[in-house]
Amino acid sequence: MDIEDDEILQGFIEESLEHLADIENDLLTIEEAGAAIDEDLVNKVFRAAHSIKGGAGFMGLTAIQELSHATENVLGLIRSKKLIPTPEIVNVLLLASDQLKQMIEDVHNSNDVDISPHTGPLNAIFESAGKPEGGAKTPPPQAAPVLKPAAAAPPSEPLAEPQEAVDAFEEMTDAEAAGDEEEPGQEDEPPEEAAAPPVRAATGNAATEQADRQSPKGDTSIRVHVSLLDSLMTLAGELVLSRNQLLQTINSGDFRNAEAVGQRIDLITSELQEAIMLTRMQPIGNVFNKFPRVVRDLAKKLNKTIDLTIVGKDVELDKTIIEAINDPLTHLVRNSVDHGIEAPADRKRLGKPETGLVILKAYHEAGQVVIEISDDGKGLDGDALATSAVNKGLITSEQAQAMSDKEKINLIFLPGFSTAKQVTDVSGRGVGMDVVKTNLDQLGGHVDIISEVGQGTTISIKLPLTLAIIPCQIIMTGDERYAIPQVNLEELLRIPAAQVKERIERVGNAEVVRLRGNLLPLIRLSDVLGAPRTWWDDESQEFKEDRRESIADRRGHESSLLGGKSAGKADHKKEKEVAPRAETDRRYMAASALNIVVVSTGAMKYGLIVDRLQDSEEIVIKPLGRHLQQCKGYAGATIMGDGRIALILDVANLARMAQLTSLDGSDRAAELASATEEAIRAQKDKQALLIFRSSEHEQFAVPLNQVERIEKIKRDDIEELGGKRVMKYQGGSLSLLRVDDVAMVQPLADHDDLLVIVFNIAGHIIGLLAIGPIDAIEISSEIDGVTLQQNGIMGSTIIDKHTTLLVNIFEMAHTLFPQWFEGQENFEPEAGAGEPPTILIAEDSHFFRNQVKGYMTEAGYQVLEGEDGAEAWRILQDNQDRVAIVVTDIEMPNMNGYQLTQKIRADARFSRLPIIALTTLAGEEDIAKGKAAGVDEYHIKLDKERLMASVHQFAKQIR
Amino acid sequence: MNQAMQKDVQNTAKGRADEHMVELATFYVGDALCGMNILKVQEINKLMQMTKVPQAPDYVLGILNLRGQIVTIIDLGKKLGLGETDAQGDPRNIIVNSQGGYVGLLVRKIGDVVEADMTKKERPPANMRGIQGEFFTGVYKTQSALIGILDIDKVLSIED
Repeated sequence: MDIEDDEILQGFIEESLEHLADIENDLLTIEEAGAAIDEDLVNKVFRAAHSIKGGAGFMGLTAIQELSHATENVLGLIRSKKLIPTPEIVNVLLLASDQLKQMIEDVHNSNDVDISPHTGPLNAIFESAGKPEGGAKTPPPQAAPVLKPAAAAPPSEPLAEPQEAVDAFEEMTDAEAAGDEEEPGQEDEPPEEAAAPPVRAATGNAATEQADRQSPKGDTSIRVHVSLLDSLMTLAGELVLSRNQLLQTINSGDFRNAEAVGQRIDLITSELQEAIMLTRMQPIGNVFNKFPRVVRDLAKKLNKTIDLTIVGKDVELDKTIIEAINDPLTHLVRNSVDHGIEAPADRKRLGKPETGLVILKAYHEAGQVVIEISDDGKGLDGDALATSAVNKGLITSEQAQAMSDKEKINLIFLPGFSTAKQVTDVSGRGVGMDVVKTNLDQLGGHVDIISEVGQGTTISIKLPLTLAIIPCQIIMTGDERYAIPQVNLEELLRIPAAQVKERIERVGNAEVVRLRGNLLPLIRLSDVLGAPRTWWDDESQEFKEDRRESIADRRGHESSLLGGKSAGKADHKKEKEVAPRAETDRRYMAASALNIVVVSTGAMKYGLIVDRLQDSEEIVIKPLGRHLQQCKGYAGATIMGDGRIALILDVANLARMAQLTSLDGSDRAAELASATEEAIRAQKDKQALLIFRSSEHEQFAVPLNQVERIEKIKRDDIEELGGKRVMKYQGGSLSLLRVDDVAMVQPLADHDDLLVIVFNIAGHIIGLLAIGPIDAIEISSEIDGVTLQQNGIMGSTIIDKHTTLLVNIFEMAHTLFPQWFEGQENFEPEAGAGEPPTILIAEDSHFFRNQVKGYMTEAGYQVLEGEDGAEAWRILQDNQDRVAIVVTDIEMPNMNGYQLTQKIRADARFSRLPIIALTTLAGEEDIAKGKAAGVDEYHIKLDKERLMASVHQFAKQIR
Repeated sequence: MNQAMQKDVQNTAKGRADEHMVELATFYVGDALCGMNILKVQEINKLMQMTKVPQAPDYVLGILNLRGQIVTIIDLGKKLGLGETDAQGDPRNIIVNSQGGYVGLLVRKIGDVVEADMTKKERPPANMRGIQGEFFTGVYKTQSALIGILDIDKVLSIED
């Protein structure tokens, strides 16, 4: 075949494909209308087929011409009402238009394609209905059977007669065709061409095989509205003018004007950018339009009746995105039809209309485009999915149990998961949703499934409007800037140096950060990229080399052993050997706070440790040269405002490079979760303590939250006046006490350097004299409130293999300065008011319960105790008339504090009962959660002052 | 009209003669004097500030912004197995357009433009001052020097 002019050919291809895209939907409408033919519509389809025929003839594409001619013939009969379009006939027409499309897409090989399977039936239909004397108003019964044996249709018979029919037909249509812009000469050729197929079919079969090396769909040109081009031209003109102005301004050195010109260029550039972006935008209808056909064919095959509603065809998206979502969308729609919608009988039984409904919807939301595919089918059963996933060994049953409904539904995105019990040829070959998700992830899209068993499923996809310009977070590592697409960005996290040790942990060889109760795997960007580890020194404003092995490494070297084990760190070990330990060690620098970018890529979420965080910017993606294609960690590059280049990170590939694949990730997360579950649970009841010593050999501790400050003093600073020890402090005198003033312990060591731990008790500041070493730690071990309890000591616990005495600073102050508390204690239950109020304490820790009980009874209240929420609830019901105030812990077994509060609040009898929550958790989220549940007051554990103040206040209110 | 035709004839005649005459841009890679068709050269730059690309092949020095295009800079010396090009001398970037993208070739020194008659091109030796012969399409002898004519597309092709 000789195609002389590529440009004309390209034009023909584009135009024909456009026609074909319309034909499909129009044919479906024709089918629906049945005998009540919409003439305009049939005319439209007819003209489309005719145009293709004309164009193909002109280009010498005989096969296309012939097939479109056969199609046109049948359409002509429908138009003239000689043939009623039954589903069978429409089916033949649809198949033919599919074939046409294929041939046009691969136009260079189109002449070698065997079209007889299509022309056969078409001609048969035409022939049987077309004979005037036949007068068959209904389709001939043989039309349908012809469909299958068509390939083997006897060549001679159907060919001879159509010629006459065609000739007659041509006459009929000529008047119509004259209006078309196609060359009229074309019409004369078809009869001869129609005789050719058998010959061509014979040679064609061999040829098609060679032709399999299909050229990729040549979608390299795009149609743009002239008005848009005009506006582009105008803008380009403006830009040229502005440039001239700018040059003039620069030459004349008039800087005031430069500003104005700069603004003008800024404006024009943004407008130009917008206009150019518009040229890339295409309506999503281009993709949506094929679905009526897809749904129809599938539904027919599966014996289902399904209505498809399409909303928002006009929503525009970038061309590249439109092209890329085609496959994922098709998969999802097919899934809905195949797996979602039940068979009509089942639907009837369930009381649903027999006709299923699939809705395809596109709309704008928050600068993104949302595409929703919803059906009213059987929905996704999370439990069934979980069971299936367990059976396939994708997850463990423990993992399954721990999953929320949403997580279970999201299991279908796991590689190797197919929901259909049987694999059908319609959808589901075991690869499916994971591919859909991966494809969408690559587009920066986001998939979400909402499903209710029996009610249906809605899959919503969020897509960016365009891929060319994306908002990015700019970060720095090792003196280079990198951009992280905002779609991947979850949050930015800065862990102050002081918290690094407690929030970063090692589990196995993975480093994780604890983020709101969850563990997040960490990747160090410099490690993945193989760049030297650095850190930003705020003081000197430069990057310095980092020699730590483990992030959490702030004290010891033992974790460097762990670091050496992991493969990814092997090269750094070497580096470490080369570099001797630095004198100024980073571990003690305030600047060693960690900047973590929390990124998510569909299935997984991880933290990327970077050196510095910078602004968020809109960047233009530029591709990297082919020599850098092997660097998988980058999605491209961009040019920053200063003209230098920043690489754009591909977070999904970075995770892969760090061997943190999604399945791996979930495995690892599970592993981490189980390994640290205990720790987390224990942590909930953790008490932060300040450890100190008074004599050399006894270790003491006080709750850290009671401590105001710690001061270093010299022994000489202490003055002994009137039998009391004081020192000057903040312009006044600070009373100093020693543990051995009250408790029977060894006397304070005789050191020159002393520490004063400052407390604020009952509105007075007091200092407790102590010696080092001091440390702040969190413990979760049980506190023994009996064995070593004495005046001033509330109990003991084991810390670092040392028995540690817990100092009760309130009791000490009470013993030494009873006058401070007189005023307060008096307003406890006044006599005459009858019974003192009863307080119900819910607390699982024996030690804390006793402490709180002690405070209460000391103040004259009656106390009831419950070991957990459930027990407290029972006690409350048994003593509903007596209990005046409830004091509850939050973390308790069986029923936690939130649940207890909700239960109390839900009961009309107790709706006004004051509830005070007592906890070591006092994050804002916890407080908000408590308030939502109905907690009146929130107190940090063992802040006796505040607790008692609010207890008194509530007690007074009740009176 | 007649004049115009004459001119055309002259031009074609000249063009025919020029088929063999090629201007070679010459430069030094290591100690070897290499050349390539000057029409392949987009421009020649001084070494500008580059952005390093971690994980890139070792011969890739980095990428730089050439008026909005991202250009990969390749150390030609290293790529041809001669070791790193010394940044202290007078290295230049030769920007070439190769297979649809701009690539910068860092060379030790730029030489003259030499007019060469391609009919006098000779087959390359197996090795020329440390550079494998396969990278050359041939050598061209001038009165004073021997120029290895580099096959840039081959040099820049990506080995698997």
